[in-house]
Amino acid sequence: MALLRKKDEGFTGDTVGLEGVGLRYDTGPEILTDVSLAIPQRSFHFLTGPSGAGKTSLLSLMYLAKRPTRGGLTLFGEDVTRAARGRLATLRRRLGVVFQDFRLLDHMSAFDNVALPLRIAGVGETVVQRNVSELLNWVGLEEFKNAHPATLSGGQKQRVAIARAVVNRPKLILADEPTGNVDDTIAMRLMQLFVELHKLGASVIIATHNEPLVARFPFPRLHLDKGAVSILPPLTAQPSDQTAVEM
Amino acid sequence: MFGIRSDLPLKRDTAGRFVLWLVMVLVFMASLAVTVNSYIGVLLNDWNRSVTGTLTVQVPVMDLGEKGAAPTVGKILDVLKRHPAVAKAEAVPRAKVIALLKPWLGESDVIADLPLPALIDVELRTDEPEAVAAVTASIKTAAPQAVVDDHRVWLNRVMGLAQGFSVVAMTIMILVTGALGLTVVFATRASLAEFVQVIEVLHVVGAKDGYIAGQFARRALLQGMLGGAAGLALYAPALALVAWLASRVDPEILPNAALPAAHWLTLAALPFAAGLLAMLTAHITVRRALSAKV
Repeated sequence: MALLRKKDEGFTGDTVGLEGVGLRYDTGPEILTDVSLAIPQRSFHFLTGPSGAGKTSLLSLMYLAKRPTRGGLTLFGEDVTRAARGRLATLRRRLGVVFQDFRLLDHMSAFDNVALPLRIAGVGETVVQRNVSELLNWVGLEEFKNAHPATLSGGQKQRVAIARAVVNRPKLILADEPTGNVDDTIAMRLMQLFVELHKLGASVIIATHNEPLVARFPFPRLHLDKGAVSILPPLTAQPSDQTAVEM
Repeated sequence: MFGIRSDLPLKRDTAGRFVLWLVMVLVFMASLAVTVNSYIGVLLNDWNRSVTGTLTVQVPVMDLGEKGAAPTVGKILDVLKRHPAVAKAEAVPRAKVIALLKPWLGESDVIADLPLPALIDVELRTDEPEAVAAVTASIKTAAPQAVVDDHRVWLNRVMGLAQGFSVVAMTIMILVTGALGLTVVFATRASLAEFVQVIEVLHVVGAKDGYIAGQFARRALLQGMLGGAAGLALYAPALALVAWLASRVDPEILPNAALPAAHWLTLAALPFAAGLLAMLTAHITVRRALSAKV
């Protein structure tokens, strides 16, 4: 776990801030109408709501794949509504994204997929080898490091995707249905992984439909409905230590 | 440089292979154009050198009296030998004049009986127009009927033709360059569309536009250089064939000219030029396409 600890990157205020954000695609209706929201540092939120409520859109704003049609968006204390493209790329290196459909690169081995963010950031190859091997161990995939995604099971791909999302030691982790393709045991293991990362100082947002899973963790919920967001208390008040599955 | 890791799935890259083939054809054409250009340069140089600073004085037959050409030729030679701009002046022997006419009139005793003009070869110390004019004027003073030919009219026409070939060769080079650029632009756009998901992932994990453009540019450089090398490989036997055909032509008509070192250097530079052009084009194309996003 030592590899996930790193010096604080020195921003003050919230990890993510949305102020009256609206988002529409082309001339379609607004997916998000008036979202104001603050994600503090070292927080953990579930993102819930019915299908089509805009969970994926909200996340894509946060990982800077889209810019809001109106309103203000800050990330790590920086206004990103008008930031240059190059600056957005730099900010993306401080966050990790886990996609519902993994988006692994099929022509690369599991190892190279996980190593990608480090190599793009220009990290030296010795560090890449050490950190990626350690991380693959941590997610239990060391023997699959040379396997290509097509040969991996859904759960294994999911873990590769998570490893890729966290290898850069991000300050913000965004996960879209990260447990959607795995059985309950693996789902709990993956959740435990996110909880660990949260304890190490990252802000975590997990979009999910899995209510029983949400109910097992004492984290607040961002509830999206009809393009607007409300913050709901945790489904359970139990401390996470009692529900956590041992790694 | 080429052992470097690529984030693009190049095995699936059909547009890239197309570029490779096209660069081969284009570089082959460019190398032929370069050769035509170099050879014409050599020919012109050769002709120019053999003709510059020389004059031919012709004393027409009909203007000569009972004593034949000898007195007039003697008078002209006298003037020429005293002229400071003249390096050498000598009458062309009658036998050589007959030899010059043989290709046109055939082997025949008739030539020997023909009244032939007298010729004087003159070599000047300089090819400045003023010197040529001064010498011409003094010949005219000594013998008004003499005709002075400085070969310029003939040479200028040949040079005009040669320069026409050069212009065609240059035009081919420009067209080849344009075709190469356009090919890379469209192939790169096709690859961008094909790899759109890969590029999305690269962006999400923090790649800048320059990094992604670099991936395409490196691939284009490699394709340009490989295609260029293949084009040269195709050129070698073509040149050998043309050289063999040329060697069978009378050297009086086609001087057996050796191509200069600059020619071979230019040829060797073609694959690198193709690679560089492809690289820059790919880089600019990707950056422009990406900057239109988000």
